[in-house]
Parts: sequence; C-alpha cells; structure tokens
Amino acid sequence: MNNTILSITIALIFGIGTFLILRRDIIKIIIGLSLISHAVNMLIVSTGVFDGEKAPIITDVHHGSGSGIIFTDKLSEGILAPIAPSGVETPFVDPLVQALVLTAIVISLATTAFILILAYRIHEEYGTTDVRKLRRLWG
Amino acid sequence: MESFTAIILAIFLPFAAAIFIPLLEKFLKHRIGWFAAGIALLSFALIGIVAPEIIHGHIIQHSIEWMPSIGAEFSIYADGLAMMIGFIASGIGVIIMSYSNGYMSHKEDLPRYYQYMLLFMGSMIGMVFAGNTLQLFIFWELTSITSFMLIGYWRDKPASIYGATKSLLLTAGGGLFMLAGFILLHTITGTYDIATILQNPAIIENIKAHPFFLITLILILIGAAAKSAQGPFYIWLPNAMEAPTPVSAFLHSATMVKAGIYLVARVHPIFSGTEAWFILVSGIGIFTMLLAGFLAFRQTDIKAILAYSTISQLAYMMTMYGYTSYHEPGLGVAAATFHLLNHATFKACLFLVAGIVAHEAATRDIRKLGGLRKDMPITFIIASIAALAMAGVPPLNGFLSKEMFYETSVEMGHIIGGPFTFLIPAAAVLGGVFTFAYSIKLIDGIFLGEKHHGHLPEHVHEPPYTMLVPAAFLAGLVILFGLVPSIPVHNIIEPTTAGIVLEEVHLHVKLWHGFTPALFMTVITFIAGLTIYTRYDSIAAWQDKFNARYPWISVNYYYDRIVDGAKGSAKGFANFTQPGSIKLYIYAILFLMVILFAIPAFMMATQVFPANLNFDIPPYEALILTLMVIASVAAATLHRYLPAVIALSAVGYMVSLVFIYLKAPDLALTQVLVETLATIIFLLVIARVPQTFKEKIPKTTLIRDIGISFTVAATVLVLLLNATKGIAPPFESLSHYFLENSVKLAGGHNVVNVILVDFRGYDTLGEISVLCLAALGVYNLIKSRGEGE
Repeated sequence: MNNTILSITIALIFGIGTFLILRRDIIKIIIGLSLISHAVNMLIVSTGVFDGEKAPIITDVHHGSGSGIIFTDKLSEGILAPIAPSGVETPFVDPLVQALVLTAIVISLATTAFILILAYRIHEEYGTTDVRKLRRLWG
Repeated sequence: MESFTAIILAIFLPFAAAIFIPLLEKFLKHRIGWFAAGIALLSFALIGIVAPEIIHGHIIQHSIEWMPSIGAEFSIYADGLAMMIGFIASGIGVIIMSYSNGYMSHKEDLPRYYQYMLLFMGSMIGMVFAGNTLQLFIFWELTSITSFMLIGYWRDKPASIYGATKSLLLTAGGGLFMLAGFILLHTITGTYDIATILQNPAIIENIKAHPFFLITLILILIGAAAKSAQGPFYIWLPNAMEAPTPVSAFLHSATMVKAGIYLVARVHPIFSGTEAWFILVSGIGIFTMLLAGFLAFRQTDIKAILAYSTISQLAYMMTMYGYTSYHEPGLGVAAATFHLLNHATFKACLFLVAGIVAHEAATRDIRKLGGLRKDMPITFIIASIAALAMAGVPPLNGFLSKEMFYETSVEMGHIIGGPFTFLIPAAAVLGGVFTFAYSIKLIDGIFLGEKHHGHLPEHVHEPPYTMLVPAAFLAGLVILFGLVPSIPVHNIIEPTTAGIVLEEVHLHVKLWHGFTPALFMTVITFIAGLTIYTRYDSIAAWQDKFNARYPWISVNYYYDRIVDGAKGSAKGFANFTQPGSIKLYIYAILFLMVILFAIPAFMMATQVFPANLNFDIPPYEALILTLMVIASVAAATLHRYLPAVIALSAVGYMVSLVFIYLKAPDLALTQVLVETLATIIFLLVIARVPQTFKEKIPKTTLIRDIGISFTVAATVLVLLLNATKGIAPPFESLSHYFLENSVKLAGGHNVVNVILVDFRGYDTLGEISVLCLAALGVYNLIKSRGEGE
C-alpha cells in the first residue's frame, strides 16, 4: 500500500501541469509538460508491483533474492514471463519500474530541450510565443 | 565457375556496382557510362557461362536459406525462359548504356542516372531467375521502383512527375494484386517454391481443380497486365515516355514491360489448358492489341507512337501466350517467345532512332519532322530496317514471328470453331494492319517527303558513333534473326519454349514455307495496311474529334478523377483530424486518458476510495511533499518566466528527494543531473525570449480549465489509490526474474543498472538514439536561423 499523501501530491502536480498545458503561452506549456512528467515518473515508481524494504541493490551474493522462487523461462513453452507463485515475499522494491522511469527521465530531458529550442526559434521568427497567434499565421 | 555462383553474381554485380558509381565518378567523370556498360557486359557474360547448360535442357536450381520461419528461401530457378530474358536485360543493357554516353549531356546528374539503370538491370535479372514467388515479387517491385525513379529523372518537369507517379501507382499497385495471387497459390499448394509447383503434375492438377483457381489466376493476371500495360492499365506507358529516351528504349520497350509477359509465361504451365486462361489472357491481349494499335494513329510525338506500338506488340505476345487448348496447352508459346525476342531488338532500335532524331533535329513532333533521309542516311537505313521488321516485312525477324502469330491464330480459331474460326484470325490481321500503317508512318513522317525548313535546323547531322553503333548493331540483329532464324531458334527459343511447356521442343522456322494461310494473311495485311495508310491523317483527325467530344470515354479521364479526388478527400480527412489548434488536441488526449483510467478503475474497484488509506507519514516527508505542491502552484501562477522556472526546478529537485524516499537511488541521481541540465537550458532560452505575451485568462476559460485539471487530477488519484489493489495481471512481472538473475547471469549487484545496460540494453540504445535525434533537431533548429534571414 503506497502512501496516500504521496498519491494526493502526485495527483495535484498532475492537475497543475494539466492546467498549464491548456495555456496559450508556449513557455508555460513547457513548464506544464515538465510538471506532468515529474508526476508520471513518481506515479510509476510509487506503484511498483511489489513492496519490499530495500533498494534493489543486492549486497549479499550468497543469499540471492528470492530463495524458493520457481522460475520457468523456457521460451519454447510459450511463456514469455517467468512465473513466481503469488504470495512470495521479496526483500527489495521493484527494480523494473525504476529502470523504466530512468529511461523516461532522460527522454523527457531530450524532449524538453527540443521544445524549448523550438519555442526560442518560434519567438525569433514570429516574435510571439502565443500558440493561438501562431495557428493564425499557419492559415 | 559454378553455375549458381555465376547467376548470383550476374544479379548482384549491378547492385554492387551501383553503390560505387558516385565514388568512381570522381575519377571517370562523364566516362562513367562506359563503366556501367562494362558491368552490363559482365552480367551478360556471366549468364553466357550458364547458357550452354540450359540450352542442353538442364534447369539450374539451387537455394539458400533466407527466412526459414516463413518458409522462404533465396533460390534460383534458371530455365530457358529466365535465360532469354536475362540475356535481353543485360544485352540491351550494354547497348543502351553505351548509347547513353552520347545521348546524355555531360551536365546531367550522370551518377544518379547510371545508378538507377544498374539497379534496374540487377532487379530485372533477379526477377527472371527468382526461384520462389516471394523473391519474384520483391524484385518485381524493385523494377517498378527503379522505373519510377528513371521516369521521374528530370525532377523539375511536372510531366515527368505525373508520368512517374502514374507508373508507380499502376505497376506497383498491380504487383500487390500479384502478391495476393501468390499467397493464394501458397494456400492451395503449401509452397512458394516455383520449381516444386512446376515439377509436380499432381500439384498443378490440384490447382486446376481448386475452387480458388479462378481468383488466383485473375489476381496474378492483374499484376501482369498492369506491368505490361495491358487492358485498362495501358495508360501509364505513354506517360512514361517523359523519361530520357534511352530509358524508354531499355525499360519501356525491351525489358521492364516484358515482366508481365514473363509472369504470364512463368505461370503458363500452371494455369494453361483451361478456358479461363484463354478467355482472360487472349481476351485482354486481343482487346489491347486492337485498341492500342488504333490509338497510335492520333499520336504526334514519335515516342508516343512507339509507346502505343509497344502496348500493341506486347498484346500480341499476351494473345499468343493465351492460345491454349486441352490437348495442346502450349499452342502459341513458341510464337510468343520468338516475338518477344524480336520485339526487343527492333523496338529498342526504333527508340534509339527516336533518340537520335530528337537529339539532332531538336524535336520529336512528327508533324514538324520530314525529309531527313538526305541529312542522316545511315540513321534512315537503320530506322527503315527496324520499322519494316515491326511491320512484318520479309526477310526481317518481325516477319517470321508475325507469320507464326497468324498461323497459331488460324489453329486457335479451328480449335474453338463456330464464328471464331474466322474472327480470331481476322482480329490478328487487323492488329497487323494497324501495325503496318503506323510503322510506315514512322518512316514516311520522319525521313521521307519534304523537309519543313521552318521547324528544323538548317543542317541536321548524323549522330556521334556512340549513338549510331548501338542502333546499327540492333538493326544487324534484326536482319540476322530474319535471314538465319535457326540461330536464335535453336539457342534461345527452343530452350525457352521447353521451359514453359515443360517438354522438349523442336521448331522449324524458315523464311519460305510455301503458300500457307499465314502467307495469304500477310498479303492481305500489306494491302489493307497501305490502303489505311492513305487515310492515316483523316483517321487521326476523327480520333481527335471523338476524344474532344466524349472526353469521358477514356481510361485516363477516370484515372485523373480518382487520383485528384483522392487528393481532395485526403486533405479533407487531414483537416478533420488535424484542425491545427493545440488546445483541441490536448482536450482529445486528456479526454481519452480520463476514459481509459476511469473505466477500469470503476470496473475493478467496489469503492472508488479504498477504506484502508495510509495517512501515516514521517514529518520530513510531509514537509517535502508540501513544499512540492507549493512550488508547483508557484510555477503555475507566477507570471514572470524566471521565478516560474526556478519554482519548476525546485519541484524537480524535490522529486529526486522523493525518489530517495521511494528507495530509488539511481533515479534520484539521474533526476538531480537531468534537472540541473533542464534548468540551464530553460534559463538560456528564457534569457532570449522576452515575455512579450501575457495571457489574460477570461473567467469562463479559467473555470473550464480548472474543472478539466481537477477532473484529471481526480482520475490520477483514483488510479493511484487502486493501482496496487490486486488487479490480476495476465502474467507476473518480469521483476522477479531480474532480481533472481542479476548477479547470476550478469554479475551486477545493482539490479536497475543491470536491467538498463544488460537485460534491456537495446532499450537503452533506443534511448540514446532519441537523445541523439533531439540533439540533431536542436542543432538544426539553431542552424536554420542563419538561412531564414
């Protein structure tokens, strides 16, 4: 069970971001997009599939992670994902969502940088950052 | 050299050479054309290596694994048919590329021209030697694409673009029908392999009895007809004449348009001997032969006359391949094959002459040309030989194959009986009459009569030898094949026919074979042809009048309406789906998001807000979260950019603290780095973007937007609260696997790191690509600044 107050915070930031992307000023829209991506990143990490106590860094080599977990990972049998019986406890938090979000953070930097430069060039060419005015320029 | 290797080399050598052409052009300059011609000659020689084996009746088959999962192999099936068209493609290729050295101006983009030419030649050779239908399809479409490139070679001419688009739409589109036919054939037989089907009489019997027989045949024939400009698909070929003339000679008379005929010949053993085959193939053939022959009259461009004549001549072959009966399935095969070879020689020669005339007299309009026999006597002789061969005058090769056409038409008429005994030979003769008339028109209109001094240069010269010799060589072949038919017949036509009818063939073709019905028909053809020729201009004028009066009786009319109509509806669709207002797009996205989140949440959860909410939180975390909300509100409400951006970066740094609290140290580190970079870029940009625009939000908009934002926030909250409530996934998470195997398989203790760089390394590669693309985009955006001003 993840923390309710954290959930409320994420939802609020998402809502504020939504309000911002509905604005007409490009810079405000970009700020809104950044807020939404923060919210989404936290959302994904906070909803990891299972609850553990430790960060997913294995310190005890001999212990391994899930003693007693049975995996079947034979592709020929048509099972794409290994199956762990339900109710198995793992001492770690979910590493997969973290890996996903790490990629997402970097990519959101790339897109933010791109839109920012786009906004800068738009301002240079047309002298405005108002998307509605730009729409009229387009015809 | 092993035969298989030789064929593989003949196919891929042109492809490989095409890659190196731009590089070689640096050293060879305009002489690059001789290099291309040399490659074509090599391909020709490589096919020559395997020719003796094929002529002796051996079929070369070999395959290597290509896509085993779908049962596709890269295989070679080299029989007489493949050999003949392979010879034509490479042999005419040598002639055309030599000729191009004289025709193409040195100022043209020569590497591009020869690259496409070689690519086309490789595709054509690859197609005819293809051992399975999928491979045949791929090379088939490659020839369509290279043809598109070559027709549109002069990119700034609207007529070239129109012609190129038309040919691509029709020939490549027809190819898709053919593919559907091949897939049906696979459904019936369970194989894509051509040899397996051809060498198994039981499979062929099975196909003929199958309920899908007719639809398979029709689909494949649509592909063939589109490629060979038959039936209603003929319309692309006249527009393809916008290509440089050597291209027209190579692709649009001698080789590519023969691909459809090749396909008909290739599937001949599978489908022939049935009524459907005769009705469809010969039916299209006779119809196209008469229509195109007739329409040639009103053309004024000599290349257009040749285009219509090509359509009509291809229809001869179609008709002959269609002649079939239960007892003699391959009735017209030998005649059709011989005509295919002969047509390649005389028609390519005529196109080369058209190129010479246009090059020297600076016009292709037959109304302006005339009286050139004195200025260019050698060209005149060459043109006369080729045109008379097309007209079917002895002792040239066209005479022989036309006699065979008449002979088989009479036989076919007898087999069907009834009125057809007379009708089929009559249609053949009528086709011959049209051919005769426009062939004479070509000679008369260009070389005979008086010179129109107003339209032509004072002195028209013979062309350079690079242009004259290739044409003369082809004219020599025309005479040779006519006088000594045993050379082509024994070496090429017999093995080819044997490859199609699948048994040994012995033919006897002679110039004089007594007073036969065919000879009688030829005499009628000449008399009727000359009679019609006296009324040539009035027929052309009548056609013009008819066309002006009924413009809708024309396939082009419907083609243009469909294509132009498609442009309109595509635009309408784009305007509907892309109205251009960002706000509308965002509304659509948010609406869909709310729907997609809300529906499962309400379906799964018995209550929207679970009972056991966890409000228990350490004070320092509560402080971070509160500060985050305050900073977000500040980012949204602060009017000036700088404070808003600082508030935003405050949110970002606090997100990294939240990641620590969520036990994600890697994320926290990344977030700090990324946030720092993002803030720097933000600051750089807002330093240069003064805040000229301040949005005043009207009250209604404000209320509406807050409402939307609140709905979205509520949806996210419901989603989050119910996210871990035991919605059973279809399968368990991969996370267990990664935790278990991180140390064991990858030797890494930080599982997140191992996932990123090892287990899912390719995803990270994708991420790096995204970064690179974004960087390239940024670079170009900034670089484009200088050009705009």
